[in-house]
Amino acid sequence: MDKFKEIIRQYPFLGFIIAFIILMLIPSVFFTDLYQSHLASLICINIIVAAGLNIVKGFCGQVTVGHVGIYAVGSYTAGCMFLYLGSSLWLTLPAAILIAGLFGVAFAIPSFRLEGPYLALATLGGGEAIRLFIENGDFFMSTYGISNISQPVIFGVPFDTPDKYYYIAMPVMLIAIYFSFSVLRSSVGRAFMAVREDPISAAASGINVKKHKMLAFVLSAMFAGGAGAVYAHLPPGYIHPNNYTVIEMVTFLAMVVFGGLGHIWGGIIGAIIITIVYDLTRPLYEYQLFIFGLTIVFTILFMPKGIGGFIDKYFIDRRFKTKTGAMSK
Amino acid sequence: MKKINIIFSSLLLAASLLVTSIAQAKDIKIGVSFRMLSDVGYKHGELIQDTVAEWNSSGGINGKKVDLILYNDECKSEKGVANATKLAYQDNVHVIIGSSCSSVTLPMVPVITKAKVPQIIPHSTSSKITLQGSEWIFRVPVSSRFYKIVQAKFTAENAGTKIAHIYVPDQASMDFSKSMIAYVKDEYGVDPVYEAQAGEKETDFRSYLLKAKATNPDALVCSGLVDETVRCLVQSYEVGIPKSVARVANSVASKVEVPTNAGKAAVGVSYAAAFAASDTRPIAKKFVKHIKSRYGVVPGHDFSQMEDLLTMLKPALEKAEKRFSGDLASDRKAVRDSIAGITNFTGLASGPISFCAAGTPECRDGNRTPVMIEYTKGGKNWKTKVAGTVTFNASAGL
Amino acid sequence: MLLKTNKLMKAFGGLKAINKVDFELPANEIRGIIGPNGSGKSTFFNLVSGVYEPDPGSYIEFDGKDITNEPPHKVGELGLARTFQLLRLYQDMSVINNVMSGYHTLVPYNFIDAVTGRKKIWDQEKVIKEEMMELLSFVGLADYAELNASELSGGQRRLLVLARAIAGKPKLLMLDEPAAGLSPVNVDNLMKILMRLKEKYGLTLIIIEHILKVVMDTCSKVTVLDHGEKIAEGAPSQIKDDNAVIEAYLGKKMDDEEMRKALAV
Repeated sequence: MDKFKEIIRQYPFLGFIIAFIILMLIPSVFFTDLYQSHLASLICINIIVAAGLNIVKGFCGQVTVGHVGIYAVGSYTAGCMFLYLGSSLWLTLPAAILIAGLFGVAFAIPSFRLEGPYLALATLGGGEAIRLFIENGDFFMSTYGISNISQPVIFGVPFDTPDKYYYIAMPVMLIAIYFSFSVLRSSVGRAFMAVREDPISAAASGINVKKHKMLAFVLSAMFAGGAGAVYAHLPPGYIHPNNYTVIEMVTFLAMVVFGGLGHIWGGIIGAIIITIVYDLTRPLYEYQLFIFGLTIVFTILFMPKGIGGFIDKYFIDRRFKTKTGAMSK
Repeated sequence: MKKINIIFSSLLLAASLLVTSIAQAKDIKIGVSFRMLSDVGYKHGELIQDTVAEWNSSGGINGKKVDLILYNDECKSEKGVANATKLAYQDNVHVIIGSSCSSVTLPMVPVITKAKVPQIIPHSTSSKITLQGSEWIFRVPVSSRFYKIVQAKFTAENAGTKIAHIYVPDQASMDFSKSMIAYVKDEYGVDPVYEAQAGEKETDFRSYLLKAKATNPDALVCSGLVDETVRCLVQSYEVGIPKSVARVANSVASKVEVPTNAGKAAVGVSYAAAFAASDTRPIAKKFVKHIKSRYGVVPGHDFSQMEDLLTMLKPALEKAEKRFSGDLASDRKAVRDSIAGITNFTGLASGPISFCAAGTPECRDGNRTPVMIEYTKGGKNWKTKVAGTVTFNASAGL
Repeated sequence: MLLKTNKLMKAFGGLKAINKVDFELPANEIRGIIGPNGSGKSTFFNLVSGVYEPDPGSYIEFDGKDITNEPPHKVGELGLARTFQLLRLYQDMSVINNVMSGYHTLVPYNFIDAVTGRKKIWDQEKVIKEEMMELLSFVGLADYAELNASELSGGQRRLLVLARAIAGKPKLLMLDEPAAGLSPVNVDNLMKILMRLKEKYGLTLIIIEHILKVVMDTCSKVTVLDHGEKIAEGAPSQIKDDNAVIEAYLGKKMDDEEMRKALAV
């Protein structure tokens, strides 16, 4: 096991290639109907957003409640490019990432001066402003929503059904995870954490606090933008401002909190579990919000670092015990 | 290690639950995706559940039990699409009922068309839904293309063409005002004397109303959701717009909250709907009494459309069931053809409902008879009267 | 001169926290800064390290460069490291990550490399980690590398802060009360480690300390601040006998016996 780990460390690409192969095979082995593929695509999209949110919230410690607005920017960049230019996902995805990144810059600026709940309020306002702007803009088809956004075609094969679209959403998710792992495991990720823990101390170590806050916001905005574009093209390709409200934002935050704030797997674990549990409790719609509220409260009370932190603690405790144990012998 | 085992095994359990949702071919399955947010929303859900339970206790569909699968879509398209996909591919239903909001039904149509599942709409009115040309979609309520004509025509003929519009940024509300404006412009060559779009969740319309008052309109259109409509109507008297100015609201005015909360301000407000609680036909009286005693509310057209939908669906399912082969795809097609064969259904709706085989709006906007209703008394014991009904031909308003 | 200030000034409203302080520090020296509470010692650190912006007319030079109005991270990049009175540890990070983030300015790869996750990064990270583990074992924290910093004891925290400041291989290290709250045994231990580190890395040190024994034992020269002004400077033995210092510290004159007692604490 340790040797395997060592090889993965040596060749980071290898792990992702293995994961890619496994994820490619999952539908044919486990899935029995198209809905599971649809759900899998949604999980992929949620993972991208949550992984991005984990960068800015979990690692850099900047509270943002406006991320869903950037997600909407990604979706509507894709939607409008399709509507007015007829662009496909291959063009709308990079464009959405780019434009979302620019919005990330705008969202980062308040973080230079504001902290905690004040920053949350500022970003909340930003996110809601974006949604209302879309809702009232004829250019964005306001409350009619943009419909029939096309699905990509590869070698003449349209990826227009949920089972096929999974093969679009999944690789995009893997690439996003790869980037998030790369950043968070490097010195940049450590700098993010240092900024979260103590900006003054971080600056004394030569870490440019403003630059890293900006980086965190822009990076995670790019994740949200990419996810938004993938969502816009998800069959049947319909986007509506109703899907970008504070409730969705809370769901994304719940994913990160539940998975483990500041844990490298945090957003990913959270996105998978929350999306699946949400689906399993669909027939209990009367109690769903209640269950979710309770989950968040209990997670924060009894598992403040989420599932990721729980697993972490277990492994680290063991490692520490073996080390000190060896010493006492 | 034990803790880790527990985590993994529970994850596995969740995954296997996901995988093993086995369809039971014997029953007839009806899937519902529905906006169940408010008290009334839940009551619509209860109405379906109660009705299907009645079917089952009286022998079901030709002896077959009906399985009802009810999901909430919270009026969000993302959830509506997920529900439709789940109902079509995982729950393997024969027919889908849904949804309440046009913005949710709209993206559901391509999903159910691809999956080849018939869907029958209880509430959504947007004309765009049937314009997509799907052969699998049926609409029980009156399409917005009829509503907007009847309202514009009624207002222009009875009040005058100097019309002031205040609407909120909600799809149905904007749709209503904009198409009314377009109709009056086309037919009478007159622009509205005042037009304003309020902000989302705005509750103080007095500044708009004062400006509207200054133009001396013949009619004032307050187009919004329940709260906004009530406030706009009440505030129109506060700013001193005289009683002689006709008040017009969109189909939201059919909801009981409007006359209850608006009180005296509701008097004289006219709106178009598919059903009037003041309808004097015996069938309507019986229905109103039934809903009042069971659910404690006076039914608006949301209730009557759901009731009509279920009433027409039962014989259609019975007819289709005789042709069931056990193969889901062909069974669904049988249900679709059976619903398409419904002609001149007379229920609670103010006119007959007819479908036909083609996937065109002419065929699938089955209800073409909006009724004009006017409040004669506001407050808790509100009263309405039927101001008139109009039956359009199938291609009107396209 | 490694560090030089000229007419350094900072006023908070009407209060002159630092008033026209001229300070010169040659390389390889260990300098102590003492003074009663509120005399401006920490403010002096904050001004030099860029946390506070000095008032106009001030001048700070480090290693031949004007750093008067540089932001803190720029000062840190130039090789001036410091610790804080309140430690400011990264509580929720592992011990090794605490130290590794102190290495930030020396990381050999750039942001683009980090995002793309090239293989050379992992090799370089491995080298950095090994180097930092070595530093940790030097201060005696290697066994706790994977623990959260918040799980350490008070003494270990002070060692960790020290290791984090040294991780960036600074030219000048400024320590703000490194031994505050430690038992006498731990103080000795800390000072021993400090001296070994100085030798190993060729550090220049400035130490603020209330435990006069530490200052008297380790520093080659002592600067005394009172009410934001420099009132004395010289070798520890000279300072001991300076009447102004004694008055500032103790509020009265003392005979030799009393003096020795006070300083021994």
